[in-house]
Amino acid sequence: MSIFTPTNQIRLTNVAVVRMKKGGKRFEIACYKNKVMNWRAGAEKDLDEVLQTHSVFVNVSKGQVAKKDDLTKTFGTDDLTEICKQILAKGELQVSDKERHSQLETMFRDIATIVAEKCVNPETKRPYTVSLIERAMKDIHYSVKAGKSTKQQALEVIRQLKETMEIQRAHMRLRLVLPAKEGKRLKEKLKPLLQVVESEDFDEELEMVCLVDPGCFREIDELIRCETKGRGSLEVLSLKDVEEGEEKF
Amino acid sequence: CFICLPVRSVDYASHSVLAMGLTSLDKIIALQRNPANTRNLCILAHVDHGKTTLADCLVASNGIISSRLAGKLRYLDSREDEQIRGITMKSSAISLHYSNGDQEYLLNLIDSPGHVDFSSEVSTAVRLCDGAIVVVDAVEGVCPQTQAVLRQAWLENIKPVLVINKIDRLIMELKLTSQEAYTHLQKILEQVNAVTGSLFTSKVLEEREEKESETSSGDQVYDWSTGLEEADDSQLYFSPDQGNVVFASAIDGWGFSIQQFAQIYSQRMGVRAEVLLKTLWGDFYLNAKAKKIMKGAQAKGKKQLFVQLVLDNIWSLYDAVVTRRDKEKVEKVVTSLGVKVMARDSRHSDPKVLLSAICSQWLPVSQAVLSMVCEKLPSPLDMAAEKVEKLMSVGARRFDLLPEQTQELKKAFLQCSSGEDAPAIVFVSKMFAVDTKALPQNRQRPLTQDEIAQRRELARQRHADRMTADQTATESQRDLTHSGNTSQDVQPAGLSTGTLNSTLFISFYFFKHTAEEEQKETFIAFARVYSGLVKKGQRVFVLGPKYDPAQGLSMLPEGCSASDCVPEVPYLSCCSMESLYLLMGRELEELEQVPAGNVLGIRGLEECVLKSATLSTSPACPPFTPLNFEATPIVRVAIEPKHPSEMPKLVRGMRLLNQADPCAEVLIQETGEHVLVTAGEVHLQRCLDDLRDRFAKIEISASKPIIPFRETVVRPPKVDMVNEDLGKQQKVAIIHQVKEEVTQGRSSDTLHVDPSGLVTVTIPNRMATVSVRAIPLPEEVTHLLERSTELIRSLEQVNMSLREGKTVDVSLRTMEAIAGLKAQLENLLQGRKWRNAVERIWAFGPRRYGPNFLLNSVEGYQRLSVWHCLGRGDKAGEAGAAVIRDFDNSIVSGFQLATLSGPMCEEPLMGVCFSVERWDVQSSAVPQHQDSLEENSISHEALANSRVEGSTKTSSEVEGTVAGQSQARRRPEAASADCYRPVSGQLIAAMKEACRRAFQAQPQRLMAAMYTCEIMATAEVLGRVYGVLGKREGRVLHEEMKEGTDMFIIKAVLPVAESFGFADEIRKRTSGLASPQLVFSHWEVISSDPHWVPTTEEEYLHFGEKADSANQALKYMNAVRRRKGLYVEEKIVEHAEKQRTLSKNK
Repeated sequence: MSIFTPTNQIRLTNVAVVRMKKGGKRFEIACYKNKVMNWRAGAEKDLDEVLQTHSVFVNVSKGQVAKKDDLTKTFGTDDLTEICKQILAKGELQVSDKERHSQLETMFRDIATIVAEKCVNPETKRPYTVSLIERAMKDIHYSVKAGKSTKQQALEVIRQLKETMEIQRAHMRLRLVLPAKEGKRLKEKLKPLLQVVESEDFDEELEMVCLVDPGCFREIDELIRCETKGRGSLEVLSLKDVEEGEEKF
Repeated sequence: CFICLPVRSVDYASHSVLAMGLTSLDKIIALQRNPANTRNLCILAHVDHGKTTLADCLVASNGIISSRLAGKLRYLDSREDEQIRGITMKSSAISLHYSNGDQEYLLNLIDSPGHVDFSSEVSTAVRLCDGAIVVVDAVEGVCPQTQAVLRQAWLENIKPVLVINKIDRLIMELKLTSQEAYTHLQKILEQVNAVTGSLFTSKVLEEREEKESETSSGDQVYDWSTGLEEADDSQLYFSPDQGNVVFASAIDGWGFSIQQFAQIYSQRMGVRAEVLLKTLWGDFYLNAKAKKIMKGAQAKGKKQLFVQLVLDNIWSLYDAVVTRRDKEKVEKVVTSLGVKVMARDSRHSDPKVLLSAICSQWLPVSQAVLSMVCEKLPSPLDMAAEKVEKLMSVGARRFDLLPEQTQELKKAFLQCSSGEDAPAIVFVSKMFAVDTKALPQNRQRPLTQDEIAQRRELARQRHADRMTADQTATESQRDLTHSGNTSQDVQPAGLSTGTLNSTLFISFYFFKHTAEEEQKETFIAFARVYSGLVKKGQRVFVLGPKYDPAQGLSMLPEGCSASDCVPEVPYLSCCSMESLYLLMGRELEELEQVPAGNVLGIRGLEECVLKSATLSTSPACPPFTPLNFEATPIVRVAIEPKHPSEMPKLVRGMRLLNQADPCAEVLIQETGEHVLVTAGEVHLQRCLDDLRDRFAKIEISASKPIIPFRETVVRPPKVDMVNEDLGKQQKVAIIHQVKEEVTQGRSSDTLHVDPSGLVTVTIPNRMATVSVRAIPLPEEVTHLLERSTELIRSLEQVNMSLREGKTVDVSLRTMEAIAGLKAQLENLLQGRKWRNAVERIWAFGPRRYGPNFLLNSVEGYQRLSVWHCLGRGDKAGEAGAAVIRDFDNSIVSGFQLATLSGPMCEEPLMGVCFSVERWDVQSSAVPQHQDSLEENSISHEALANSRVEGSTKTSSEVEGTVAGQSQARRRPEAASADCYRPVSGQLIAAMKEACRRAFQAQPQRLMAAMYTCEIMATAEVLGRVYGVLGKREGRVLHEEMKEGTDMFIIKAVLPVAESFGFADEIRKRTSGLASPQLVFSHWEVISSDPHWVPTTEEEYLHFGEKADSANQALKYMNAVRRRKGLYVEEKIVEHAEKQRTLSKNK
């Protein structure tokens, strides 16, 4: 039995363990830190830069190497490199600090880019720049959740940003054509969903051009289709109602 | 010392000075009426050659500042940062009074900045003047900005006089002997004259060229003479004996012209003054024995007359006072000069004080300079007819083509009369912002007796009120304490203090309110009256730069004036001048009226005038030629507020800044960036400071602007990176290649890529497949499409309305233009590959009008061509493919989405053609659809559905955003929808994916935005210019020498991505001798492949396995991807073994 004293205690400092359970057994490989994600993404192509050693362990920190029999039984081969590659690709790992940092940063940027694409300054109808959104996100102390999709988080960010600055989703411009019969009734129902009605033309049919929040599109679509039994129609004139071109003062 | 900005900090705030000094306002008003004795002049020079110091000396001569402080105070540098940095940043004017003998003169002096970043301010100053004082440092000689200002003065036709400044540096720093100093001065004079000479020759050559082009037909005889011989240029040059040169040391307060010494010595030596005047400068010497002035001093090794009589005196004075500090000698000199020196000066520990005390009395610089100015510079009355014509003829229009009434105005200019009937003509060269508090009407004045009495009364009243209030309070309190109710004790007291508080609050509010009002900036126009008498409150026409007098005259009724209601005339507006000011440096003095020939400030124009304008009472007046700026703004930065909620303040501030700065440009880009364009780094710094402290009053941050890119595909290259033929070589398989091969040839069940680049995508429910190929467009086609964006947009609109069965009336010209575009496209797209391609164009993209198109190569699918609005579109075959027609829109939408953001870094595509070669909607989808046709209601629904989804292009986005809702409301009855999404929606996604894959199957390239860059540089810095260009990936197109000068004009292209800091670098490296101009020109394909890795043996040898030599395209691509938060293929740590992994507490 080894005596566990600081002097003969070997710390595994530069080791990231990748584990995989297969066939009821646990296998581990010893890798370098901050490298496994790169390997999985394809940025790192040299296996020796990822693996500390080409051997497969049962427990890395105790230094117990997996038995050859077990390996052949579960993986069907005894080529250690091949097994290592499999474990690398499918095993579970603890994400290292730098990996997590860069992942969160990328997501943060991504969220800001999505927000900047979707939103405008309601006063000028011009988009905000990504860097401004980033700063605003930092101001409200938004923390990125690694598990949620960036798009979902972007919508959350827009909601939160509305409290501190002038921002709104860029409106869609829609044209609605409603049959005269249902026109009046439907208009009342649509009213809360429409942001701005730009023009309204009521002769044989009710024709409206209006700006709506993109979030309401599905509802409006549904409403018109169900209520008019397909006689009304809906057309998107522009996806984003923004100012175009440069403006010189 | 071009960039170095010495910090000469002077506590200027402590010197409170009386603005008007010795001369009263009434005196100046009286002088203004006499244009013959008015001089409008500016001081021009290279940075740090002593303009403002000289101006200080002149200002001191009027007693506005103490002569002791002259040169240290820098009175005209009124901004704080000007004082801190020690450079002038704006032009500012001051009116001075000078009497020479019995003549009294009014001098409107404008001090201008010397730093190249502010050369726009020089332009604004030069325009308003008739003459200029050019200051040259005696040590540094002619510098880049000296050349620039001489050129500016020349272009504006104003007469320069020369001041060679800082002669004391020759004595004290360089320790030259008087003889050496003489030769040095001579050299400087030659340099200056050389610049003037080259300006003159280039003008003569230009005129000659013009003449030749006019008369080139006809006579065949070649004229050998350049015309230089005939042209008289003797008046142009600076020469002391002409009296247009002053030697000075402004810091020590002395200066002289030859005349002064000629007069002194003619009395002492008994030589005629005229003779001395001619011989005092030049190769003459005094023969003491013969008592004669002889020629050829240099040859005989004698001292020149100038050295002997002038310089030696000054040298010995400096020697006695500063170097040796010889008390006795000084006293002797002082008595011989007849100068009185105060005891405290002579006892001062710093010898410079004594020196300037002596010199400023012996040879006062203001005397020398001002008398030269009054004698040599023209008055407003002597304005050259040539200059007037130049001012009045805008652009290429010749003066004699202007309307007759306008030509008559020339007389008014030349007469410069201030009569009531003369038309008022004013030119505003810039607008500057002044604190509203600093305006004369808001300034604190000594109170009159009445006002004092009034105030006393008010104060007494207030005091009485307070007394009674106190009394009531104490009384009530007493009452309450009498009643013994201690709990209620507090309340009434509180009440009374409450009322007191509220009155206090009201007055406080009032103060605050007025304070807010006062904080605002008021814009004052920096202007000059050219003709007529301008009165306070007068209404005038404001003529914009594009105003055409001929048009204006025809539209306005005869004899109409600005006070009437004016009909709409383009570029003409009316405005009243709310108040007029005399500009006195930092101060303004209110005036009732200003006669012709004077410089003034006008308030109340900020609504009508942006930066510069022409004001006139006559609509016949043409707008003056625009100011010609030496430096165009080229430093671009994006500006953002620190707190996003302060955006409106920033926009307002930037608007104000734009008006207040003649050179800065401000614009909002489509990306929402607020971009500020300035002339240089120092100018930028000033603009940012202004924005922060004056105009916006918020925290801002400036950053590199976003650089746009485009993505495109090219034909597969024939040779590899080391110029070897690709066909013959064997590819070397390497580890990292294997992985790529896998992705290249991947064919999953929904996606298939064949080796020729045809991509086939099947939608998830297997009901439709689409095959797309990406083809690079010829460069000319891309250019053509980009040029005709507007046209394609209108084409699209016409098509849209035609599709809906509406009739639209399109102008014939548009139709012709569309037909022309089609013909041009057909012309450019020739060859087997493009057979009939133009007819088959399906759509343009992105946004329906971009430089990419979708090609219909589906066999058996005929659809209306985009050109059907031209009337030739036959409706044949429409019925044939009705099944897939319903999904036509989905394909277009998919294409639009794909072209809007490419696979490389989500930037728009450019110059790519996507050809749809196969497109099936499988029968399983069709029967359902046909079934639904029978049921009326459902078919409508399906149609509407496909239409909606198709035209939105958003199925993915919309569904993404309302994922939660749609889950709940997924319509069960939708015929064409299954467990995935409706077919049309899936088709959009499939088409987008297909386009992206097809794009990736071709060799991809990045396109960079390019600037054309024009650089003017002298021959000696040419090499450095090339160096800077080369370092920044620039390419020189051509260079040529400007005729008659030693300037080269270099034309180059430079990627926008590399332009940040370019102007600054090129100026630094060439010591300001090269000035670039950048204009966006075109998009250019970056030749390197961002995904390139070495594949052949040769490339291996050359680049190694990793090919980690710089790949420009990869660098750009990764930068964009990183900015957008996309995945960047980069290792987090390069070497696994070499990372620091120990945590900190172990």
